[in-house]
Amino acid sequence: MSSLEVNNPKVSMSDQLPSSPVSETPPTAGDKPETVFTVRDLNVYYGDFRAVVDVGLEVYEREITAFIGPSGCGKSTVLRCFNRMNDLIDIARVEGQLLFHDIDLYHPDVDPVAVRRRIGMVFHKPNPFPKSIFDNVAFGPKIAGMGGDLDEIVETSLKGAGLWDEVKDRLDKSALGLSGGQQQRLCIARAIAVQPDVLLMDEPCSALDPIATGTIEELMREMKSQYTIVIVTHNMQQAARVSDRTAFFTAEADEATGQRRGKLVEYDDTGLIFSNPNDERTEAYITGRFG
Amino acid sequence: MSDTSTAQAPEAASPEPPAKLRSWTPTTPALRSRALATAVEGILYLVIVMAVAVVEYFVAGPIGDFGLSNWWIGFVIMAIWQGWHWAGAQTPIGSYIDHYFADSAGAPACFWCIATRQLTRFGFLYALPILAFSTNIVMMFVLFAVAGLIIHFTPDGRAPWDLFAGTHLTESLAIERSVALAEITKPADFRLGRQRVAENNRARRIMLLAGLSSVFISVLIVWNIFSEAWEFVAADEFEWSLLTDIGWFPRRNKFDLATLFVGTLWITGIAILVAGPIGLGVAIYLSEYARPKVRTIVKPMIETLASIPSVVLGFFAIAFISPDILKRFGGLFGIDFGIFSLLSAGIGVGILSVPIVASIAEDAMRAVPRELREASYGLGARKATTALRVVFPAALSGISAALIVAISRAIGETMVVFIAAGGSGGAIFESNPSEPGQTITAAMASLGAGTDSVAGSGIAFQSLYFLGALLFIMTLILNVFSDAIVRRFRQVY
Amino acid sequence: MTALSPDRPGKTRLPLTLESLKRQRSKDGFGQVFQGLLLFSVAIAFAMVATVLITVLIDSSEVLRGQFWDFLTNKSSSDPAKAGVAQGIRGSLIIAGIVTLVAFPVGIGAAIYLEEYAADTPLTRLIEVTVRNLAGVPSIVYGLLGLAVFVQGLGGITGGSSVISAGLTLAILVLPIIIITASESIRAIPSSLREGAYGLGATQWEVIRTQVLPAAMPGILTGAVLSIARALGEAAPLLVIGAAAFYSTGFQGQLDQMQGAFTALPMNVATFAKLPADVWAGHAAAASVVVLVLVFSINLVAIIARARLTKKLGR
Repeated sequence: MSSLEVNNPKVSMSDQLPSSPVSETPPTAGDKPETVFTVRDLNVYYGDFRAVVDVGLEVYEREITAFIGPSGCGKSTVLRCFNRMNDLIDIARVEGQLLFHDIDLYHPDVDPVAVRRRIGMVFHKPNPFPKSIFDNVAFGPKIAGMGGDLDEIVETSLKGAGLWDEVKDRLDKSALGLSGGQQQRLCIARAIAVQPDVLLMDEPCSALDPIATGTIEELMREMKSQYTIVIVTHNMQQAARVSDRTAFFTAEADEATGQRRGKLVEYDDTGLIFSNPNDERTEAYITGRFG
Repeated sequence: MSDTSTAQAPEAASPEPPAKLRSWTPTTPALRSRALATAVEGILYLVIVMAVAVVEYFVAGPIGDFGLSNWWIGFVIMAIWQGWHWAGAQTPIGSYIDHYFADSAGAPACFWCIATRQLTRFGFLYALPILAFSTNIVMMFVLFAVAGLIIHFTPDGRAPWDLFAGTHLTESLAIERSVALAEITKPADFRLGRQRVAENNRARRIMLLAGLSSVFISVLIVWNIFSEAWEFVAADEFEWSLLTDIGWFPRRNKFDLATLFVGTLWITGIAILVAGPIGLGVAIYLSEYARPKVRTIVKPMIETLASIPSVVLGFFAIAFISPDILKRFGGLFGIDFGIFSLLSAGIGVGILSVPIVASIAEDAMRAVPRELREASYGLGARKATTALRVVFPAALSGISAALIVAISRAIGETMVVFIAAGGSGGAIFESNPSEPGQTITAAMASLGAGTDSVAGSGIAFQSLYFLGALLFIMTLILNVFSDAIVRRFRQVY
Repeated sequence: MTALSPDRPGKTRLPLTLESLKRQRSKDGFGQVFQGLLLFSVAIAFAMVATVLITVLIDSSEVLRGQFWDFLTNKSSSDPAKAGVAQGIRGSLIIAGIVTLVAFPVGIGAAIYLEEYAADTPLTRLIEVTVRNLAGVPSIVYGLLGLAVFVQGLGGITGGSSVISAGLTLAILVLPIIIITASESIRAIPSSLREGAYGLGATQWEVIRTQVLPAAMPGILTGAVLSIARALGEAAPLLVIGAAAFYSTGFQGQLDQMQGAFTALPMNVATFAKLPADVWAGHAAAASVVVLVLVFSINLVAIIARARLTKKLGR
């Protein structure tokens, strides 16, 4: 059933068609790709405050989906629902439906820790552990109890993140000695070491210089063949460069309370969003009139 | 759904293998070795329990005195058991052991131990319970092992034996760590490995227990001290007039509180007069003036002062402050100082309080935002002006908290006063700081130093607790007060 | 306003001359006096440390020079020539051991609970408030607790006024200090570290064990080791739970010794200091030196351990 070798997923995975099913339905080439996330009527509350209002969208497999919008529009909050990172905030509460391959991620049987194991995340600031480069990458496989050769996993992951050649001679050195861009790629390597199905990226380049940003974008395009990627960015050019689909969020003041709440305005092919947006707010944003 | 590791081989050859479906193999040791280890652990407990019971029967006889109570032995077994599993969660070697030894036997063994001992103690068919007990345990293990086997070979790791789910045994016997991602077809597939869940919950429980220890200690303190203090007040010999009798002579039932309060007031006042200005001066210097290099000298110096034990300062007070300072300079003013005096002890306590004032006040002033200072400098103010008129008022609440904490420490300081203030078992009312005097703490220390001889003698012993209760209340009020101030001041920035 | 106004009229625009921008050191008399006062207070604090140490050293020189090893290895005695602090050293070391065994795990565990697990519930707030207040309770009150609980309540196990009771009492005494310092160093760990580990599918306990604790360890250990130094210097609680001034040991087993009479170094100092100074002052000073050496070397260990651990973390 599984042609996928545990330790070296890349080989077989890259040969796969973009549409590889998880559900019983047979794949039909050329059709719309498989849906990974289905979001319906998603509302996120912080205490009594409704931070995100009625978001609905679908994320497709082997694509890069970008969330853009001005700051405070809830795009990161929505992203953090996808691997239940919001559970770590005591007062955060999620309502609505969030399906991962037809499975409700907020079903009571679902353990958030098991979710995060399958849906990896890269954070806006590089946050390598204060350990060696090797230990950073090996951390996930170790706690998940993955069998196999750790050295091999680390090497594959670092290669996958395009970092192997730069660090192969100093795997036992502290990860904090790396440059910002290298640290962020290490965090990506760390995330893919547990072989997740999806990679969430929360403004991965916001703390990096343009050159490092270019490297990471190049990496994302390469990883697209193997991973479904959802990226939050407030850099519109970045979204235009790397993503296949773009969701535009905005923050709107609530009539009753005056608090700014996040809303999904438009979600479509990146090309369409940037060339021919339906909504005037999207147009205003991408032409630089606000945000 | 019922896709298992056994089904892997034929499916792998199928023409279009779905990528997401990955094999699921347990990495845990073979069930056989786990069951064996469980049995060994159980037998180990069994042997201990039986050995205890048998030895006691032959040593003490069926109705003999067994020394330590059954509950203590049960407690020790429980503690060993918990310690075992704590190590299991903590250390590599422990996790290895924990891996092979299923959770079992410890808790039941403890209760069985108590039951067995109770029965043998009264000679009631002492051999029978031991036998019955051992067969019980063996039966238990057989049952659990069979259950575990069935769980193990059930396709997706669950069985009708889910009935047992939630018990320790199924948690650890059921397969917990998977190698790669399993197929996801239903929400329950997003469950976490049971051992990891169990470990996580266990860690949480242990930490909660540790957290509750402080509450437990507080309750112990309040309960013990106030119940004993109540015994003092409720005793037959006690009358309220004793608290205003002449002098503090607990062995003669004279408990004049004023004598002690005057002493405590003098000590506290002198200590604050010494520690306040010097501590604040050091604090302002450190936070506003000192260059980094100077800091690396002054800061360790303050820390050195803070780490000097109070007994040493007590000795310092009688070896240096009294003879070399007070006697010498007191003579100039026509005051005659002895070796022991409230002033000498007060200065000693003051030295002790300098680092407290300095460090808390410095923290408060360093917490004042840079922008405030820069705003002041931007207006052309000088350093001294900025320090005194901008930083000091902004940090005022923290600074007053520092002084309150110092007062609270000075009230509670014992050894300096015990050694240098010259009070002994008794003291007469003395309001002159150049004379020896007695404080609350020193009176307690004097009573305590002779605890053995006081213990039986009337209410003198309970007066120790009465003073402790007074001290506790006083310092508690001061601490709560300073805490409230600090909390308010934190909210400002 | 006196400090601010004299040389600063402010109403009229100052004429812009080189003179007006020059350093006006001589005019800031108040600032100089103020700085002088500050330096004076720092100097006094210095003098305090120095005099304490010098006094103790000078007073002890006779005893330490004349009978150094005898003083360290002899038991207490009523004869000044024979009196030593061996029993005190033994008691203090055992007390330090018990404090380490009891207070470290409980204190660090409580700190982990408060910082990592506890939600903001009334129970949590109760624990936090009690910890802060416990840290301010005078040490002699802990002595009363030890007397009631360990000496009288659990006398059957501790053997009454024994080194076990003393160790447990002091462990309780330093517990709040350990909790507070450990909490502070755990709180200082950036949440990005935790998020990184959570993002990889670690359980809460795994995050704590593999990320938070190692990163916070330098701070936690420093606080814990310093609290041992504090416990070693405490005498008041020992007085109350009945540390002996002098005691003699016969032929006793190890357990009996643990449950029997005991003393500790600070108790030695207090005992010698309470005796007539003309004969015993040297002994009090010498015992003080031993206490100080012990306390300072423990502090040194804390500093070195912190530096090592911090270096190991690569920061």
